[in-house]
Amino acid sequence: MSRDLREVIREEPLVRGRLVELLFDAGPLTVPELAERSGFPEDEVMVWTMGLRKYGYVAEEKGVSDDGHYRYAAVKRP
Amino acid sequence: MDTSTTYDALVIGSGIGGMEAAIKLGDMGHSVLVVEKEPSIGGKMILLSKVFPTLDCASCISTPKMAATAHHPNVTVLTQSVVESVRGDAERGFQVTVRRSARYVDESLCTGCRLCEAACTVAVPDQFNGEMVSRRAAYIPFPQAIPQKALVERPGTSPCTFGCPAGIKAHGYVSLVRSGKYEEAFGLVAETTPLVGTLGRACYAPCETECTRGSLEGPVAIRRLKRFIADTHYALPEPPRTEAPAPNGKRVAVVGSGPAGLTAAWQLARQGYGVRIFEAAPAPGGAPRLSIPAYRLPAEVVERDVANVTDLGVEIVTGKRVDDLEELRRQGFDTVLVATGTPRPARLRVPGEEELGGVRAALDFLRDIRLGQPPDLSGKVVAVIGGGNVAIDTARSARRLGAAAVHMVCLERRGGMPAYAWEVGEALDEGVELHDGWGIAGFRGGAAVEAVELKRCTAVFDEKGRFAPTYDETTRDDLRCDLALVAIGMGADTAAFPLLSSAGARGLQADPITLQTALPWVFAAGDAVTGPKTIAEAVGHGRRAAHMIDRWLRDLPLAGFDAPLPVVDKAEVLARQRSHSLREPLDGTLRLVASPTDFAELEPALTESEARQATGRCLDCGVCSECHQCLAACPADAIDLGMRPQQLEVEVSAVVVSTGYRLFPADLKPQYGWGRFKNVITGTQMERLLAPTRPYNTVLRPGDGRVPERVAYVMCTGSRDQTVGNPLCSKFCCMYSLKQNQLIMGALPLADVTVHYIDIRAAGKGYDEFFEQARAMGTSFVKGRVAGIRETADGNLILRYEDIDGGGVIAEAEYDLVVLAVGVQPNPEAAHPFADGALTLDEHGYVAEVDEDLNPGATSIPGVFVAGAASGARDIPESILHSGAAVAQAAAQLERRRVPV
Repeated sequence: MSRDLREVIREEPLVRGRLVELLFDAGPLTVPELAERSGFPEDEVMVWTMGLRKYGYVAEEKGVSDDGHYRYAAVKRP
Repeated sequence: MDTSTTYDALVIGSGIGGMEAAIKLGDMGHSVLVVEKEPSIGGKMILLSKVFPTLDCASCISTPKMAATAHHPNVTVLTQSVVESVRGDAERGFQVTVRRSARYVDESLCTGCRLCEAACTVAVPDQFNGEMVSRRAAYIPFPQAIPQKALVERPGTSPCTFGCPAGIKAHGYVSLVRSGKYEEAFGLVAETTPLVGTLGRACYAPCETECTRGSLEGPVAIRRLKRFIADTHYALPEPPRTEAPAPNGKRVAVVGSGPAGLTAAWQLARQGYGVRIFEAAPAPGGAPRLSIPAYRLPAEVVERDVANVTDLGVEIVTGKRVDDLEELRRQGFDTVLVATGTPRPARLRVPGEEELGGVRAALDFLRDIRLGQPPDLSGKVVAVIGGGNVAIDTARSARRLGAAAVHMVCLERRGGMPAYAWEVGEALDEGVELHDGWGIAGFRGGAAVEAVELKRCTAVFDEKGRFAPTYDETTRDDLRCDLALVAIGMGADTAAFPLLSSAGARGLQADPITLQTALPWVFAAGDAVTGPKTIAEAVGHGRRAAHMIDRWLRDLPLAGFDAPLPVVDKAEVLARQRSHSLREPLDGTLRLVASPTDFAELEPALTESEARQATGRCLDCGVCSECHQCLAACPADAIDLGMRPQQLEVEVSAVVVSTGYRLFPADLKPQYGWGRFKNVITGTQMERLLAPTRPYNTVLRPGDGRVPERVAYVMCTGSRDQTVGNPLCSKFCCMYSLKQNQLIMGALPLADVTVHYIDIRAAGKGYDEFFEQARAMGTSFVKGRVAGIRETADGNLILRYEDIDGGGVIAEAEYDLVVLAVGVQPNPEAAHPFADGALTLDEHGYVAEVDEDLNPGATSIPGVFVAGAASGARDIPESILHSGAAVAQAAAQLERRRVPV
């Protein structure tokens, strides 16, 4: 983690909309794919994606990709 | 909750050892108080995946123990509590002081629905998930937590919020904007005042002065964010209105429609009071409407803010000067608030001031402009007397009206002027000429002023800091001018309310706390009482007045206004992070011209993108931002941000110390890269990845979410290691690692697991067989220390290690994920409650037992016993066993107290 973890996590509400929008538009995506499309570092996207997963904004698809990653899709919320 | 103050036994800590002690003592019929510092009981065990060697689910074993502890009829549990001191002795008993932190959630009302958590706008690392995922400031610690109740993390008030004299939750609206909740942000500010747009432009932003980020690259643009909120709200085709509550039948008259009066009216109307405002000027809004120039605060912004108040049903009568308060009473108003500001300009009292034309009060000049009657100053030379904010506004306004030259004359030198330095700078950039350090000897001219006579000011304040200017009468100068505008201060209109002030007083007199005047049914607030202050201060006064009026009308004591938590320590806020990346503040530079020609607003509005980015700089100093989203979301009204810590005094006959151990901080072995390399984690973090309530969907690399194929364990990280001062074996690291090896291979069948070890210590029933089972499942074992780890570009880790069985060679191997099997350390908190040195520790810092072999659990203090890993590294079965010994000791002590031998 090149940035302090607390600083990265603090920004989760800030980037949430952008990541979820990307997943709606182009998902499901792996963490590296989401990082590439959003322009954020992979490790930071990983932290945010798991936070979004925890709070029900995204969910993983079954099975892993050829390069060993799960794909995450945006969850439609009321 | 049990409210007893006397218990048979106190158990400090509620890990597996503490729970066992509490349950057993409770089963014996003893009353037990359990004090746990975390918000849930259960200790470390509840966060494990499975236990060795049975591979039983840790939660399945822990949860019944937790429930048995919490629901035992003889056991009382205090979570979020710390034993501050234990005094006394075994014969007389022990007096115990417990400090209980506030949960900010009423446990009796909370249903554990987590809607508060979903609504919370602050994300922080989840310490119950190895900090590998976020949680919220409002949260339930983990799914099996007992009590299954929410809490709000609030170490103190954020400096921005604490520093706002209006009482606006600055941190709250910053975090709401960060979450994209702009309308909620407007609503939060409007909980305090209707003047959202006004403060977003014209506030001097003490919040930004206090902002912790200011000690890094510069403060968060908090004021401009408020403007963004207001602009966004007002730009809506049909902005949501605050619903007027049902009338409560009481009527309040507010005299004056400035920030204090409007805020008080707003607050009272929202509580159902019928409010009418009487304003002497032709337009409502007070100084923001009549004095502050449009280039800082457009009139339509003030008008829109005022409309918030009238939309709520408040009547505003303009052009109505009130000087008979009794008449208002006769009209049926139950109480009156006088908030008439400071409309009377101060006078210089120098020759020519009264006699000559062209010498005017700056307030009148500004008011004419704001009311659409600006004088034509084309080609004229204007002298502005004064060095404060009003003088600056006056001078810059004169420039915009075409004055050929504008001179500002003030007593102070530039650095000591009452106006803010940035204001002075902007005025100079717009062509205002400053004559600092001069006093006014008089004005000279024929019918109209032609010059200001200056004399050098040698000091503005006396040795006691009182305003007492002195002059060098021999150093004089003349300043030619066509118009002189005096802006040297202003005062309240005391003449209108003789019963509210004493002779010679500069303002109305009211109790500083209650704001009640000599007439009990009349309250006074704002600048009329305090003298000229900022808009935010007047808003704060208006809120206070509304609070007191409401209480007075309900026959309640006049008390109970804002009592925020103490402000957080900024140094502690900064120390929460190991580093702060550079986040440049927004460019606040205004595009100023030397000869401005109009009153167009100078400061550009923030774009949505700029606003969101600005919020990303907030450090969440108080953690909870007080955005109040949890309050809105909670269906049980369980959130209570007014809770405060409690101190409890209890008496007990025996004490069991069961404070457990601490984990070795892995960053103290920097050669292993934990905290720097993305895919180096600790054994505790792996426990969470393997647990059913894990932070990820399976075992993944934190660096990129990839399923690891090659996993390495580095054993004895921070144990059996003199370089970090811990020669002791932590006893259970080998076994938990072997357990994790097997679980990883179960979760990731293709994964290769390699253990780099010194030797495997598997002494215990079934332990060696467990080791062999891991080996049989495919775990590879490499004997030898790991010298260091380095990270490759793709996040893989290269271990450099000694291979003793391979001939003692130094080798390297590449892995996807490295797990550091961290050891344990004594918990230094164990001895804190006891008098210095009373509770003897062993040479390593664990609680010493008097005789570990023959008298286990007994400490250096008779009547105080130790259970579990507080006295040394123990695994779960050993902790339970040791706890049993401590329970026996404690029971004997209680018997001795009951039946003295």
